[in-house]
Amino acid sequence: MKTITEFMTADHTACDDEFAHAEEAALANNWSKAETAFNKFRDDMAHHFKMEEEVLFPALKSAGGPAGPVHVMLMEHAQIKELLKQMAEAVAQKNAKSYGGLSETLLIVLQQHNHKEENILYAIADEILAQERDALLERMQAV
Amino acid sequence: MKIASLSPDQAPPIGVPLRFFAVAPVFLVLASLLLTMGDGNPFANTHTPALLAATHCITLGFMAMIMLGAIQQVVPVLIGSQIPASRLVAWLTMLPLIAGALLLTSGFVLGRPALLDLSWVLLGLAFLVFISASLFSLARATAKNPTRTAILLSILSLAGAVALGMLLARGYAVGLAIPYDRLAAAHISLALGGGVMLLIIGVSYQVVPMFQLTPNYPKWLTASLAPAIFAALLLSLMPLLFDPAPYWAGYLTEIIFWLLTSCFAVVTLKLQSQRRRRVPDATLSFFRLGMFALLAAALFSLASLLSPAYGDHLRTLSVLTFLLGFSMSVIQGMLYKIIPFLVWFHLFRGGASAVKAGIPNMKEIIPERWMWWHLWLNGGTLLAALLATWWDIAAWLVTLGLLLQGILLGYAIFTGISVYRITLKRIEQLAT
Repeated sequence: MKTITEFMTADHTACDDEFAHAEEAALANNWSKAETAFNKFRDDMAHHFKMEEEVLFPALKSAGGPAGPVHVMLMEHAQIKELLKQMAEAVAQKNAKSYGGLSETLLIVLQQHNHKEENILYAIADEILAQERDALLERMQAV
Repeated sequence: MKIASLSPDQAPPIGVPLRFFAVAPVFLVLASLLLTMGDGNPFANTHTPALLAATHCITLGFMAMIMLGAIQQVVPVLIGSQIPASRLVAWLTMLPLIAGALLLTSGFVLGRPALLDLSWVLLGLAFLVFISASLFSLARATAKNPTRTAILLSILSLAGAVALGMLLARGYAVGLAIPYDRLAAAHISLALGGGVMLLIIGVSYQVVPMFQLTPNYPKWLTASLAPAIFAALLLSLMPLLFDPAPYWAGYLTEIIFWLLTSCFAVVTLKLQSQRRRRVPDATLSFFRLGMFALLAAALFSLASLLSPAYGDHLRTLSVLTFLLGFSMSVIQGMLYKIIPFLVWFHLFRGGASAVKAGIPNMKEIIPERWMWWHLWLNGGTLLAALLATWWDIAAWLVTLGLLLQGILLGYAIFTGISVYRITLKRIEQLAT
């Protein structure tokens, strides 16, 4: 079985791909394609957040993990959710300019966030949740 | 465990980096004015006071100003370790750097030793504060990644470059009997080949994959490139220690240095060609222009080794391409991402009232079309620079290019700051 870092990093990469597809379609004003791609991206992001907020972060907390980093990650989730909400409005209005500016902003927020999770938080999780890792990964996938 | 690196307030206040960024373009304008002050083509002779003054306006007033501001912003975020007393360090680096750069350039142009003698003290203070604060921060860093190593080596090279620069300025001021040419060569190698090159490499490891969703730099490269370049630079200092140094030592270290930096350029261009984000992006284009310019600088330098008859001419071309092509493109390309992001990021901290007031997205902070205009100006200035050593009109085009770049960048940064201020006011009004 994979480590938490490997599993979650692969999920980040998959979301990045969907981000790029949606942005390309929106900037090309291909709105039927953009809408499909954006919805898939938004749903997969929501699923990723759920895996963290409902399973991984509580597990970290009950294993005595650090509260500070989790708090920072949750704050960044809030930033990302707000940007996704605004992007959904841009898709509904078929506004490529607004979508482009929002997706540019989201990209940097998201990449910094992922970088911190992949290099710090998941490493902590792999260390202190090593014993229950396989069961945890199963629960995360079932969310 | 690496917990310290996830504290919520890693970044310094927005005023810290923005002040450095806002001052820098003024020096670009000043550099272009200085180039008009000499007699005839300012690029025909690389030892003229006007060219020396203009070069230091670009390297100290523009490049170092931005890099010092950017390091104080980036180190806490990328490395996860704060700069101690960030506001104090910012003021104690920025003010003496401004004053020192102005004194040094006016000392060159006016031929006044007293100004040079004051300049090295102030510049020394600025860099001493900056170098000690950033080394302290790097030493505390929990993340031991290749970016940290590259930035550390960049700062050590910078320390060497500054020490030599201080000695040279003091030497010119009071007429010390020191080997000026050899010290100047080492000063330039350490400043550009170390300070600038290694910093750009270290930051690229993080931002190239991040901005364009490219694959990561390969591990063999990130593990060895910066230390190898640093080692080549140290070897290139041999002529300072041995007199006369074996002639092959200089050749060999120069070849190694340019092969290593070309390797960085080629790998970066290859990664960018594999990017998953395929939409047009000004920063990406600035970066690519920079990487091609780096390859050109390497070619000119290697060619100068092969044809000593044109050696001086080719070397001048290499330095111009490195400064006006590689360094300026990459630095400005990054600024056009960093500034809009910082403005957005700091406004978002206003919480619910900020969201209600409406935070401008990154492309509403500095208009994208300005960035594209600037890219063309940067490319045009570089092209003119390639012809400037023998065609007078091209020399004036370089001067004009620098002037327009300074004005455009300054206006863009000013616009970003005023968008920040106006939005902040709106958020505060909503919150009360």
